[in-house]
Amino acid sequence: MAQAVFTGSFGVAAIWFGVVVFRTSSMVRSALALLFSQAAIGGMFLAMETEFLGVLQIMMMATEMAIMAIFMVMYMMDPGGLSEMDMTHQKRASLAAGVLGAFGALAVALLAGWGPVEVQVPAATAQVHDLGIEIMERSMLIFETTGVTILTAMIAATAIAIQRRH
Amino acid sequence: MMLAALTILGPLAAAAMILLLRRVPEAFALAGSAAGLVGAGFAFAGVSGGARYGATLPGLPGLPLRLVVEPLTATFAALIAVVGFLVMVYAVGYMTGEVGRVRFYAQMSFFMAAMQTLVHANDWVLLLAAWELIGFSSYLLISFHLGRPDAASGATRAFLYTRSADLGLYVAVFVLVAKTGTSQIPASLEVGGAAAVVAGLLLLLTAAGKSAQVPFYGWLQDAMAGPTPVSALLHSAALVAAGAILLIRVYPLLSPGVLLAVGLLGGLTALVAGLAALAQRDLKRLLAASTSNQYGFMLVALGAGVPFAAIAYLVAHAAMKSSLFLGAGIFQQARGSTRLADLGGVAREQRWAFLGFAVAGLALAGIPPLSGFWSKDAVLAASLAGRFAWLFVPLALAGTLVTGAYIALALKSLWQGEGQGSSVSGMGWMGTGLAGLVVLAVALGLALPPLARLLAAEPPQGMVVATLGTLFGAAGLVLGWLVPAERLLGPLRGPAESGFRVGGGFYDLVARPAFSVARAADTLDRGIHARVLGVGRLGLAVAGAAGNFDEKGIDGLIAALVGGTRWLGARARTLQSGLVHKELLLAVAGGALIFALLTIGLF
Amino acid sequence: MVTLFVALAVGAVLFGIGLYGALSQTNLVMIMMGVELMLGAAMVNLVAFWRFLHPEVYAGQMFVLIVMTVMALEMAVGFGIATGRFRAKGSVEMEEARELKG
Repeated sequence: MAQAVFTGSFGVAAIWFGVVVFRTSSMVRSALALLFSQAAIGGMFLAMETEFLGVLQIMMMATEMAIMAIFMVMYMMDPGGLSEMDMTHQKRASLAAGVLGAFGALAVALLAGWGPVEVQVPAATAQVHDLGIEIMERSMLIFETTGVTILTAMIAATAIAIQRRH
Repeated sequence: MMLAALTILGPLAAAAMILLLRRVPEAFALAGSAAGLVGAGFAFAGVSGGARYGATLPGLPGLPLRLVVEPLTATFAALIAVVGFLVMVYAVGYMTGEVGRVRFYAQMSFFMAAMQTLVHANDWVLLLAAWELIGFSSYLLISFHLGRPDAASGATRAFLYTRSADLGLYVAVFVLVAKTGTSQIPASLEVGGAAAVVAGLLLLLTAAGKSAQVPFYGWLQDAMAGPTPVSALLHSAALVAAGAILLIRVYPLLSPGVLLAVGLLGGLTALVAGLAALAQRDLKRLLAASTSNQYGFMLVALGAGVPFAAIAYLVAHAAMKSSLFLGAGIFQQARGSTRLADLGGVAREQRWAFLGFAVAGLALAGIPPLSGFWSKDAVLAASLAGRFAWLFVPLALAGTLVTGAYIALALKSLWQGEGQGSSVSGMGWMGTGLAGLVVLAVALGLALPPLARLLAAEPPQGMVVATLGTLFGAAGLVLGWLVPAERLLGPLRGPAESGFRVGGGFYDLVARPAFSVARAADTLDRGIHARVLGVGRLGLAVAGAAGNFDEKGIDGLIAALVGGTRWLGARARTLQSGLVHKELLLAVAGGALIFALLTIGLF
Repeated sequence: MVTLFVALAVGAVLFGIGLYGALSQTNLVMIMMGVELMLGAAMVNLVAFWRFLHPEVYAGQMFVLIVMTVMALEMAVGFGIATGRFRAKGSVEMEEARELKG
């Protein structure tokens, strides 16, 4: 019961901050709102007894959002959001898409028969240990592929962002 | 036997060589006719000794071609060979310097070969073929001077007249062969009754056409447009003789009724043609009318029932008439024309030629002791002894009178006038030929009794008729000499000049209706042609419409397809806005669609 | 049971918000933010499923790690592109990016 309350509260926070991301016209505030939203998601992870993932989420998102804030300031026309311009387009279509998507997922969530719900989960350390075993044994290929993918992405990003010498 | 075959093969080979080599045609022609003469002479000698030759060549199935050398055919062959050779000699002189001599000699040699084949033919198929060939040669030779319009019209007229009359020959041959089942001439003559009468009358029709008897004698005068050697050989001795030869050969077939018709026709022609001769103003045309007149005598002899008289007259006439023509040819070369008005006085220049001409003319009139006297005596005696003597004798005597008259007319026209001192080239050759024939004209009277013995016939004789004939002939001569030409005919002059046309002549009776029928047929044909074209055009129009519709339809369809595709593409293009948010929207919509499909697929 | 539904509901709503944002924003960085939200929603769902339905199967957590990696990578490459775009055109407004118009 308590778990439900905590999860729900973190969830509401995530939702509310998510809405703020797109309602505010200040760029920096958008970035920070996103940060808090992601952090609330991490809180939800913690509430659902996946400590490792929760911590990972909060840590990563903190760093990412900070970087994003820097980029926003670099590239945005109006980082402070003081010009009162409407920076959106196809509002109705996207609103419709979003509502449809949300309701679709909700429908699936409510109508699908998920089966019996497990109550007991292993302890946190055991989780971490088992996750490591999982990575190293069964999902080794996925792990290595991910590594190569990260490398590729790094090289690609650098290649795109390098200044061209003419 | 082979020498006898030379009669035909000699001239034929000459014709072939002339056409192949096209050089010295005179030599080849003379050689060919000489070879023919040798062959004919040999055959005649053999036949006189009692031999008989025959040859059978493969022809149509069941109808082989037969040739025979017997007394009758050998006589004719010898006559034609002799006259042909002498005329060929004459022609060498006459044709010096003429254009187209190769053609001339080749055609003359070919004619000789064809005529000899006709004379020797013993079956109807070969005879018909040879008949056609001599008609063809005559056409070619009459129209020898290609540029002259009267040559073409004369040849066409000759061809049309004789060819129309030949129809009788064809039908008669069909009747005879069908009746007897064989095409051999002597065998096929053994029919009786109606078939014999019909065949006889039809053969008479053909003979009348070929020998220029009434009513077919108009063509012979127009045929004088050919060179004089042609007139001398073909149209006095050989081609026109074919009609008489035919009748003589089929004599056993002719019934008394038909013989009456033959004699009547001959007598009528003798009179009418003789009167027409009196009205002529051209020497050659006069001689042509005279030929018709003389052949009428032969038919009278046949009609009286004495074929030997006809044969004798044929032989003698050949020599006499060809001499007259050869002389006329010399005069033509001297003065450049054959009109009597232009020839006045030419006798005084070409004295030797005129001598020959006069001798032959007197022979024709029947003056003793020339050959004409003997042959005319035979004819008159035959007509007296025959069946319808009361009919034939007056006609024959009248013909004799007229003969003398026109001969005298011709002689007078040639004599009266001034000599103009012209010279004629080739006189050597021409003189030789003329002289040979004149000698024959004089001496053939001596050959008649031996000929009669050969042909197993009695030569008819009689002092009465001999005297009558001479008297009438002499009277005619005197009449012709003394009375001026204009007054000679009196009231008959008009009809005589127009050739004694009846009912407008052939032109109104035959040609005009034929033309109108032809015009009607032409109109009909044009109408049909127009209809056919109309059908064709209709078909084309339908095809065009179909094609149009097809094209427009299919093109329209394809164009619509293309247009539609293009329009669709243009509309689809608007999706490619290049705007990122639109693309994202499309991606989201597509993903939702796939998700929906997968979800439905679950159920 | 209830928690499961709550988590799933939250995930659904977050997904919807993220979708709205990704489609309606003109700025590349804002679009990326929307994508981040959508990925986050996915992660929420994944964790909920792992925790309440199959806690013995650690592939679920593996999946979440992968999603997190993808988030990071996407941001990296996306900002690389943004940098390139900014250098070329001077702005990262997607309204002006019409070069691929066909």
